[in-house]
Amino acid sequence: MLSWEFPPRVVGGIARHCEGLAKALVHDDHDVHVVTLDFPGSPSYEEMKGVKVYRTATELGHPNFLTWVLLFNHFLEKRMADISRQVEFDVLHVHDWLTAFAGISFKHHLKKPMVLTVHSTEIGRAQGLHNADSFSIDGIEWWVAYEASRVVVTSHSMKREICDHFHLPWDKVDVIPNAIDVTKYNASVDRGAVRARYGVGWGEKLVLCVGRLVPQKGIEYFIRAIPIIAQRYPEAKFIIIGEGWSRDYLEDVAQSTGHRWKILFTGFISDADVIALMTSADVLVIPSIYEPFGIVALEGMATGAPVVSSQVGGLAEVIEHDHTGIFVHPRNPESIAWGVDRILSNPDHARWLTQNAREKLHKTYSWEAVAMKTVEVYKKAVG
Amino acid sequence: MREDPSSGFSYGPELPDEMRLLVMLHNIGATESGKSLTVQQISEWTKMDTPTLQFHLQKLIELGYVQFIQAEGTDKYHLTLDGIRKVLSIYS
Repeated sequence: MLSWEFPPRVVGGIARHCEGLAKALVHDDHDVHVVTLDFPGSPSYEEMKGVKVYRTATELGHPNFLTWVLLFNHFLEKRMADISRQVEFDVLHVHDWLTAFAGISFKHHLKKPMVLTVHSTEIGRAQGLHNADSFSIDGIEWWVAYEASRVVVTSHSMKREICDHFHLPWDKVDVIPNAIDVTKYNASVDRGAVRARYGVGWGEKLVLCVGRLVPQKGIEYFIRAIPIIAQRYPEAKFIIIGEGWSRDYLEDVAQSTGHRWKILFTGFISDADVIALMTSADVLVIPSIYEPFGIVALEGMATGAPVVSSQVGGLAEVIEHDHTGIFVHPRNPESIAWGVDRILSNPDHARWLTQNAREKLHKTYSWEAVAMKTVEVYKKAVG
Repeated sequence: MREDPSSGFSYGPELPDEMRLLVMLHNIGATESGKSLTVQQISEWTKMDTPTLQFHLQKLIELGYVQFIQAEGTDKYHLTLDGIRKVLSIYS
């Protein structure tokens, strides 16, 4: 398995996806080797619950992003060359375009099939292709999808997107939803203590939003909904978990609402703190405008947080409106405020939604199920 | 500057100068104390003049994204874990 991120190097959903899948494959008696980039304080090789993890240092750097990507792929290739002298691989699994070069090179070198999981696309992330590098990345995404024997995506909306955009044969692409390890979300949490730690007083509502602070997550629209929500719930507090390059802009937007003192940007916090806050929240808002899957929805469902979500991409497949969560219109603060009100004004209904959500989560979104489906894809690739 | 590294970030408006510097420090490998770089070395990579560089480095230190160590009689700079995560959040 090739991924540019693997815990503790966690950027977005890819690291957690690779970790969950790799551990489930090992649990199913497969031999899994993950080749990834290094991270300060982490060993260059370790076994994590049977998963063999090789962290690779990039010994040459360059300030230009695409050049840096080429360089780290070169060092990934060198590491894989060393490993392949001792291990015979049956299939190579690449995650997203960032490790495409090493993956394609090794596919041809080993003469083994390559499976690609597309977690998102440049055109989707950027909502268009606006500059030369964006076109380059889009081209690399097309290339790696072309070279792959099989392509995996996490939602039907992504399948439509990549088949249309990259002109892929429909039957080359398999949909395997994401999953989470529900046992991580069973920890006992003192909701009062957690809320107090984040300045949420007794009787105050906690409205939570989790996501990287980048435009595709639509957090601006959540912030713009805050004055509307605050009219009906003046005691509500709003916590935004996540980090990203548009943080300064979002803090300016928060300032402009006149409710800045009610809004907390936590930045990057530990998984344990994210879970504690989700478990303690009265409502979890997912205001994304582009979301290939939306693993945060599963995390919300696992913690028992009532979910209010944009009806976009994979989220539209994970959540059932008024059964496991509430759908709102993307880019629409009034609609987001309506969804939050629907949860806060009717606690019994919110509880019913979370019960339904937990049932669906356990039935549908386990890593064991993902591993089984992925092995079927590997078998198709091997032929 | 050799090339505009922010050209690789296709996700919105151009990054603030100090963030572009943070990204460049990451990409040239200044990601831990053993790989920290002097102002002169950073200047060679980024083609920024020393006062501008020191202004941005100071801001990045205040934000917790960069730290400096004293080695061989000079200050050397590298990203903190928060700095690395900040850069990766830009890329993903």
